[in-house]
Formats: sequence, structure tokens, C-alpha cells
Amino acid sequence: MGKRRYRVTSYIIGGLILVFIVMAILVNTTSLGDSTWMRVFFGISALNFTLRASVPLILGAMCGILCERTGIINIGIEGMMLAGAFAAFVAKTNTNDWPLLASLLFGVAAALVTGGLMGLLHGVFSIRYRMDQIISGTVLIILAAGLTAYLFDRNAVAEGKFGTIAIPGLSQIPVLGEVIFTNPPLTYTTLILVVVIHIGFFYTRWGLRSRACGEHPRAADTVGINVNRFRYMNTIIGGMLAGLAGGFLVLEAVGQFQEGMTAGRGFISLAAMIFGNWMPFGAMGASLLFGYTQALQNELLLAGVTTVPRQFVSMIPYIVTIVAVSGFVGRVRPPAAEGKVYETEGGSE
Amino acid sequence: MQNKRFAVVFSMLLVLAMVLSACTAVPAAPAQPAADAGAAGEAAAPASDIKIGLVTDVGRVNDRSFNQSAWEGVVQAATALGLTEGEGYKYIETQDSKDYADNIQQFIDAGFNVIVTVGFAMGEATAKAAAENPDIYFIGVDQFQGEPIANVTGLVFNEDQSGFLAGALAAQLSKSGTIAAVLGTDLVPPVVAFKEGYELGAKYINPDINLISTYHPGEISQAFVDPEWGAATAKQALDQKADVIFGAGGQTGNGALQEVASAPGAGTDVFCIGVDTDQWETLPAAHPCLVSSAMKLITPATIELINTYAADGTMTAGNYFGGAGLAPFHDFDEKIPQEVKDKLDEIAAGLADGSLTTGYQP
Repeated sequence: MGKRRYRVTSYIIGGLILVFIVMAILVNTTSLGDSTWMRVFFGISALNFTLRASVPLILGAMCGILCERTGIINIGIEGMMLAGAFAAFVAKTNTNDWPLLASLLFGVAAALVTGGLMGLLHGVFSIRYRMDQIISGTVLIILAAGLTAYLFDRNAVAEGKFGTIAIPGLSQIPVLGEVIFTNPPLTYTTLILVVVIHIGFFYTRWGLRSRACGEHPRAADTVGINVNRFRYMNTIIGGMLAGLAGGFLVLEAVGQFQEGMTAGRGFISLAAMIFGNWMPFGAMGASLLFGYTQALQNELLLAGVTTVPRQFVSMIPYIVTIVAVSGFVGRVRPPAAEGKVYETEGGSE
Repeated sequence: MQNKRFAVVFSMLLVLAMVLSACTAVPAAPAQPAADAGAAGEAAAPASDIKIGLVTDVGRVNDRSFNQSAWEGVVQAATALGLTEGEGYKYIETQDSKDYADNIQQFIDAGFNVIVTVGFAMGEATAKAAAENPDIYFIGVDQFQGEPIANVTGLVFNEDQSGFLAGALAAQLSKSGTIAAVLGTDLVPPVVAFKEGYELGAKYINPDINLISTYHPGEISQAFVDPEWGAATAKQALDQKADVIFGAGGQTGNGALQEVASAPGAGTDVFCIGVDTDQWETLPAAHPCLVSSAMKLITPATIELINTYAADGTMTAGNYFGGAGLAPFHDFDEKIPQEVKDKLDEIAAGLADGSLTTGYQP
């Protein structure tokens, strides 16, 4: 029963995506594009904006999925992102005299390491010290906001950022080539990561074991899986992904750090994770939807349309999330053992 | 089970909170880092008994934008008066817009008698504090005074005029016939004045020009500190074939300028125009595309007002109009054709003597 319903929804979603792609191609290549409204909804600029605004959300949501699928609630994504962004900025500004690519890659490495450390911290709090995971996540957010604002040197300038790389051949495809295959490296990385995480979670031993830790840790333990080790590992990897999202903001999107520059993207990616039903592709879809509404909002203004108050457009993703979470469109189901401390039978760790 | 439900409810609450606040707020600002007061030991009392305090708008005093310009004015005026930092002049950085009144009060309690409040959003708090403390002189940057208060000077600018010049420059540089503006928020009148001036100036040169501009969707506290939105929006405008982009909105605008600077053809096919200060000095990352900036000269006006008060104790009630105009072209000086410069000079002269008006009605 559940399976059937799942299949029907995925057909509907698949159909919608197909229609969207066809419309996008038609609008940008034929005379259909002469209509302002068509361009607002399907113009290349809207599609580019969508992808770009979605990248940090996708990475954040992947972080959430990795943590929560193994049973660790992570509301600290925002903090991990911010810490990653800051680390990337510091690394970049201190290596401005290196060759650009080396310096940027060093920034990415710094973002990954810092994100991973934040993940480790979350793990230590919530696994070792059995702290309430919501509180631990909140601690991360406050910590990152405070520390980065305190340490931020506003006179430092990061010189240069990742440029776009057109993939030979594929970038020649009309519309799709321009939107998907002409992007900076971290955007490609993100899209690839979604596929990797999906395959990892559902087709490898690591994925099966991770999910077991999140659904039924006792059972996992019984067959000899070290539950807490999996939880640590996935929280750290998740932290690295969130750190990468921060790195994206600094090294690829803006080229500069700014206090609080994550601006709530970590929370929105949590919403995307829930809306996507803790599935990598679902979360990616949700992130793209959030990005798309932001794009629409701008497109309406750029096109001079003032009949629709833009605040309404910006509300759409949140309303959709509330509807999704409250169980209107199918049920989203969090991992069963999420947020529960796991102790082995003997009580010792 | 309990915990899981809590998690779902918690996430929903978070989402709800975001709907209500029209997107996000970073929780919990760090503890207020008090202005570096290294002056405790040095008791060299200045000749004048003036003490100048500056309250920034949300953001930092070295924001490379208008907080910084106002603070530089205070520093220069105070240094000329022989004051020491910490003792004779200092600043408080506002972390959250609900702290405006408290921050002003801190200076009042500490015996400061000249208080500079930066930003339109602080107008209300400033007016209230001024009414309660008639002996303290307030300078409100960007705070238009509808009903003059005896001890408040609203330091305002004809943003529409510098915007008009920026628009005239943009329209002359544009080859595609489309120019854009990426703006802070329409909740702040000076930003609206910049935008309208920009559009009117562009139309003055080319009535058929295609103007695309967009405001940040967030509230005041968000709209000026979201560089990623500014950058992504600038890209969106470039995708729509805009080739001159006016970035007006603090860090958000700076994000837009940096995006244009790293776009293909920056400085040859696409250009950007900064705002408030001469951003050539404040935002080196924008050099590849930055042809000029639509300035409002906050620093000299602040110095002027403080000096007037220090010299004869007069508080200028009502509004004081500071200078507004275009910044130098710097490295683009040679690339900008002479007839464009002549046209801009002509417009600037016309605006100055009143023979030309921007046509902007606030």
C-alpha cells in the first residue's frame, strides 16, 4: 500500500519535472519567450538563480540527512555552515599570494575540516555526554555566530573566487547546457554528492548499517555494529558537508565573508530535509523548490510586476513545508531512533 | 517517541518563526564588544569639554559603508579638537535594531553631549532621546526631520541627484540597452531615492532604456547584510543582458558589485557602480568593473556639523543637506569617453544651479 502510493507520487513529480524542463527549453529557444510571464517563470536567469541559491541548501540538507538517518538530530547546520564559511575566508585571505586555485582549494579544505570539527563537537556533546541533541545543536549555532563575529577581521580581503567551468560538449546543449553544465566547481561537486550519498545510503553496506543505527540501534548492535561509531562518523561527514556549504558561500558565491552571512540557510535546509522525507533526491528537490521561489520573487521585481506582492511569493516554500510536515501530501517519516541516546546493554559506552 | 515528536514540532516552530519574520534571523548576537577603550589610564583632559558618541546602525563601524563614513567624520573632527578616543569620543555598534534606544542611553548616561546616530532606522529612537535631553546635541545621519527638534540635525542628502548622475553614466556606457540596480530595501527612503534617481537619470539620456531593478525581499535588519543574495541577483540581471549594474545596499550591494567584477567581460563589456562612499577605496574586490560610485559625502558633513557646534555651541535644527555626487573614475578615467564626462559635468552643473531637476518626488 505504502509502496504503491510512493510510486504514484514519484510519477507525478517526475511528470512535473519533465513538463518544467520542456517549458524551459521552449521558452528560451522559441518565440514563447517573448511573453514576460513565460520569461519570469522559465527564463534562463531564473533557472540559474534557482540552482545557485539551492546549492547551500542542498549541502545543508545532505548534512541533516547523514546525521538524522543515523539517529542524531542536527539543528546546528546553520552554525556548521557559518563556521565553515569563516574558516574558508580566513584560509583564503591568508593565502592570497598563492596561485588562485591552490588558495581556493586550501579554503575548501579549511571549510571541510572546520565543518568536520563542528560535527565532532556535536557528536561529543550528544553521544559522549548524552546532551539533548536540540540543545547541542543550538549551542553550535550560538558558538559559531559569536566566534566568527568576534574573530572576523573586516579589513581582510579575499582575492578571487571560483569561476565557471563549461563542460565541453554537454555545455552546448541548449538551455540545459547553460543552466546545468556551465557552473563553478562546487556546484558540480554538490550535484555529484547528492548522487553519491543516495547510492551510499541505499546500495552499500555503510548505508544499510547507518540506517539501521537510526531506525533500530538495538538490532544493529545485536549484529555487531558499533552504533556510536557510526553516529560519530556520519555526524562528522555531515559537518563537513555543511562546512562545504559555507565554503561555497565564501569561495564561490560571494568571494567575501560577512557576519551571519548564512542568513538562516541552515534552517531552511532542515526544512528541505523534512520536506524531502529524509531522502537525498527528495531534499534536493525541496531545496530547488525553495531556490526557485526566491528566483521568482526577483524575476517578478525585475520584470516590473507589482500586482503580486513579493512577500506572498517568498512565503510559498514555508507554507508548502508546513503542509508537507503536517502530513497532507503523503506522510514524511523521520528515522525511528532519531534523537535517542544509544547505550549498550551493559550500560557502559 | 516523545523526542521524535518534539523534533518535528520544533522544526515546524522554526519554519513558522521564519514565515512570521519573513525569513530568518541569526539568533543571539555575541556579547557587545565595547569600543576599545584604551584610555582609562591617560587622563589628559581635552581642552574642550565636548564628548562625541556614535551609535552605528546594525552592523559594524568599519563596514566600508555609511557607518564607517560617519565614524571617520567623528574621528577627524574629534582629533582636530584634541580629543582622545574612548575618553572624548567613542562608538557603540548596534547588534540588533531593538537596542537603538539603549545604546543612545548609554552615551547619555556616560555624559556624552554630542551623539551621532547613523541610519534612517534610528530616527525614532533619536527623536525620543533628543526630546528627553534638550542639552545634548544629536546628529541623525539619513534621518529626515519632518518637524524640526531644536537639538537634532537631520543630516540628509539628495540621493536622487547622485543616483541621477549614476543613471546618466550607466545609460551612456550601456551597449545592450539594459541596465540594472540591485538594492537594499524600499523600506529605507534614501535607497528609494537612489533607485528613482538612477532610473530618471538613465531615462534622461535614453528614454527607451530597459531598466531592471530589484529590492532585497527581507526586512530592514536583513536587507543590507546579505551579500550572497546581492551576488546571485546581480548574476540574474547579467543573465537578462544588463551590462551596467548599480549596487546600492551595504553588504548586499557589495555582493552585487563583486559578482559583476568576477563576471566575464568585467570592465570591458559589463560595469558596476557603487554607492554611498567612493567604493574604489572601500571595496578593492570591485576594481575590475567599478566605474564610479553614487556618493553622499557623509564624512565632510559630519565634520562640518561637529565643528559648528564646537565653535559656537549652535545646534542646527531641522535638516542639513550634505553633498552628493559621483566618485572619481579612477582606473576607468581613460576608458570613459570625453563626451560622456562632458555630459555628466553638464548634468551636475544643472543640478547644482537648479536649472535641471531630477523629477523625483519623495
